[in-house]
Amino acid sequence: MSDLLSVFEYQFFRNAVVAAILISIYAAMVGTYIVSRKIVFIGGGITHASFGGIGIAYYFGANPFAGAAIFAILTALGIEWIAQKGKVREDSAIAILWSLGMAMGIIFVFMTPGYTPNLMSFLFGSILSVGTTDLYVLAGFGLLVGIIYAIFFRPILYTAFDPEFAQVMGVRVAIFRYMMSVLMAMAIVISIRSIGIILVLSIFTIPQITAMLFTRNFARIIPLAALWGITGSVTGLILSYLLDIPSGASIIFFLTMQLLIIKLIFVIKQKIAAGRN
Amino acid sequence: MNKPIVILENISTGYGTKPVLEKVNLTIQSNDFIGVLGPNGGGKTTLMKLILGLLHPFSGKVSFPSGRPPTGYLPQVSQIDKSFPITVKELVSSGLKDTNPWFPHLGISQRKRLHRMLDEAGLTKLASRPIGELSGGQLQKALLSRALINKPRLLILDEPNTHVDKLFERDLYNWLQALNKEMAILLVSHDIGTITPIVKTIACVNGNLHYHPSNQLSEEVLRVYNCPVDVIAHGPVPHRVLKSHDHKAE
Ligand SMILES: Nc1ncnc2c1ncn2[C@@H]1O[C@H](COP(=O)(O)OP(=O)(O)OP(=O)(O)O)[C@@H](O)[C@H]1O
Ligand SMILES: [Mg+2]
Repeated sequence: MSDLLSVFEYQFFRNAVVAAILISIYAAMVGTYIVSRKIVFIGGGITHASFGGIGIAYYFGANPFAGAAIFAILTALGIEWIAQKGKVREDSAIAILWSLGMAMGIIFVFMTPGYTPNLMSFLFGSILSVGTTDLYVLAGFGLLVGIIYAIFFRPILYTAFDPEFAQVMGVRVAIFRYMMSVLMAMAIVISIRSIGIILVLSIFTIPQITAMLFTRNFARIIPLAALWGITGSVTGLILSYLLDIPSGASIIFFLTMQLLIIKLIFVIKQKIAAGRN
Repeated sequence: MNKPIVILENISTGYGTKPVLEKVNLTIQSNDFIGVLGPNGGGKTTLMKLILGLLHPFSGKVSFPSGRPPTGYLPQVSQIDKSFPITVKELVSSGLKDTNPWFPHLGISQRKRLHRMLDEAGLTKLASRPIGELSGGQLQKALLSRALINKPRLLILDEPNTHVDKLFERDLYNWLQALNKEMAILLVSHDIGTITPIVKTIACVNGNLHYHPSNQLSEEVLRVYNCPVDVIAHGPVPHRVLKSHDHKAE
């Protein structure tokens, strides 16, 4: 137990915990939109396409984070544009952008002479090295998403559920869809630094799926997903320290365990209730 | 009292570049109750989307003599994602238009209207249920409430009688006939038998549109479910058979 508490004496660990909490909060908002609309595949496309931007940035000696952001946002807008125009099959377009981004990333990283600093941290994340500036970025972005959801909650929900009806009611559906695409892309890129490209999508889906075991009300899924995100990721972080395993993987592993355990409890409760009748 | 609210002139429309409907003419009057019949894929939903402004005409003209009327829309149930986490209350509120569109909370007058609507539809007890837990009839009621809560002048219903039992259907039709005193109704269905007694006129949609200015269709036509109907016996004159309105054999 003292071991458990002693880790909080380290600044880097406290930073990591704060980062995990902040990420869980905005991921709960953005992720509920992703999971409700069943567009996890779009999230995957955005995430992997962003690797192309990272590769190009390395090659030209630019900021990889900016490269990822540009690629992610352009991919998200492109997918939404294709979805609205409907000229190409949406899933084909996503698959193409997904692999094109990854391929470009690999090629450019390969061509970059010498050492590519932090490449591993983009792939696997490094939440244990987030600094104060990173925390400000996470907090600032969380606040932005929170404000947007507070003001536009209804049009966001209605557009996600039944865009045609929303349009008949006079909601500017196209604008909200593009706005949510950009928000999704930004949320993903900002989280890559901590969780890594390979696992980042789980933080936008697993806590939401866990929350949906308890409620099927969009507005209530958000705080519950934030809660399950926080408990899962902080526990994962502590375990990663105690067991000396990679933190990103530990967080996702624990989020998944948490989901499975809760699901199991629900199933057992149902069995018992069924047995009584 | 009776005045045209929507006029379609020589419309051709569809998806991409492929026309689904061609040479469509239709005038909707303020107290109309039009049954829209036709086979699967005939273009009924497409016609509704055109009137709603969700689709644009390739050619021809859609006009609204006294401005676009407030419109209530009940989409075909296959268009609704039942697994989406939204409650009946939220669903019905999404039909509210005028005041306070931005903020998450409903104003007092909106909430009153919501409760009155839920009450009228008999949905009060189900208000907090997610739509995934509703029966077919309950979902249709919720979708109809969403279409009605904004007090429309034009009500467009795309097969509201799918997955509902006969009892519910009769309730629904009584409700619609009462509503027709205040609004024009377009009722899409491919169940000719049950809708003909309640509608006033019939539009037959299959690539084009044939308007039938009464609700009298012969037994013959009822059997020939496939629109375009080959023969239409006009009600009062038994056995008088009209040649169908010279459309292409197709
Ligand atoms: N989004 C779309 N993109 C391309 N083609 C479409 C689209 N929606 C419908 N179609 C095509 O347009 C034609 C008319 O479809 P529509 O949905 O209007 O028929 P419907 O009369 O409503 O049929 P149903 O009774 O099955 O509802 C069909 O051939 C269909 O394949
Ligand atoms: Mg249809």
